[in-house]
Amino acid sequence: MVVFVILAVLAIAGAIGTISFKSGIYSALSLVGTLLTLAMMYVTLHAQFLASVQVMVYAGAIMVLFLFVIMLLNESQMSGADPLPWVQPVAIAGGIVLAAALAFTAFQFKAPKNLETATAALQGGTPGAIGETLFTKFLLPFEAVSILLLIAAIGAVSLVHRQPAHNEALETTSEHATDNAYSDETSSNPAKVVA
Amino acid sequence: MVETQYYIALAAILFSIGAVGFLTRRSAIQMFLCVELMLNAANLALVAFSRAWGDLLAQSAVFIILTLAAAEVAIGLGIIVAIFKKRPTTNVDVLSSLKG
Repeated sequence: MVVFVILAVLAIAGAIGTISFKSGIYSALSLVGTLLTLAMMYVTLHAQFLASVQVMVYAGAIMVLFLFVIMLLNESQMSGADPLPWVQPVAIAGGIVLAAALAFTAFQFKAPKNLETATAALQGGTPGAIGETLFTKFLLPFEAVSILLLIAAIGAVSLVHRQPAHNEALETTSEHATDNAYSDETSSNPAKVVA
Repeated sequence: MVETQYYIALAAILFSIGAVGFLTRRSAIQMFLCVELMLNAANLALVAFSRAWGDLLAQSAVFIILTLAAAEVAIGLGIIVAIFKKRPTTNVDVLSSLKG
């Protein structure tokens, strides 16, 4: 219970930091903290494989992508007045009500099995155990999601793709080359005329 | 061993914080971060229920969701970058026109 309380406080602190920091980088780094605490929580929930995947994919790959884009866009702080200033108090009140309602519902949950026997059935959530489920009962979703990843990669490339005809670096080098050729001709031609 | 209810309650709190952030933030990237927070809260609930039932199916579902989240982030950030090329802002109040 002590471990859970510490992790829960850290996760909530990171989550509040994510939504309250003005700077995008601070927000993203707070979210990394929350994701890492969630990974530790997965270990306490006997999901070892998911814990490592959470660290590698979420805290590693996805958040690095976020930080790259935040630094690439280098957006300035939001300026100007909020056009809808009443949204913030209403959203906070609604969020508190939502959290209270969901938490109340959570405590209505009756454990369907003895927790000790149920935990033993998980086999610690090791890659072997997960892989067996993934490649038997979840085979179709697994294949579908692999196609989805391929589509996402192609889509991301085509979204930010620059047409080769408009490639400035290539154009300028080729123009320089032709300019030099012309200037060579024009500089040699007067010499011939004079001669 | 901590009861499942506490994990679900924590997931509910994290989800609500993410929802509040999504409604109050004005930067598209920060709204996106809040969506990720909500996704993770849902994942936590799934893993907690997986332990409650002693069933690994939920953990496999979380693995699929992780993959989905990666695809979603790649496309979403791509769209934000593409919009940023046209209009150098990520403020969603400014980007309210559908005509681009």
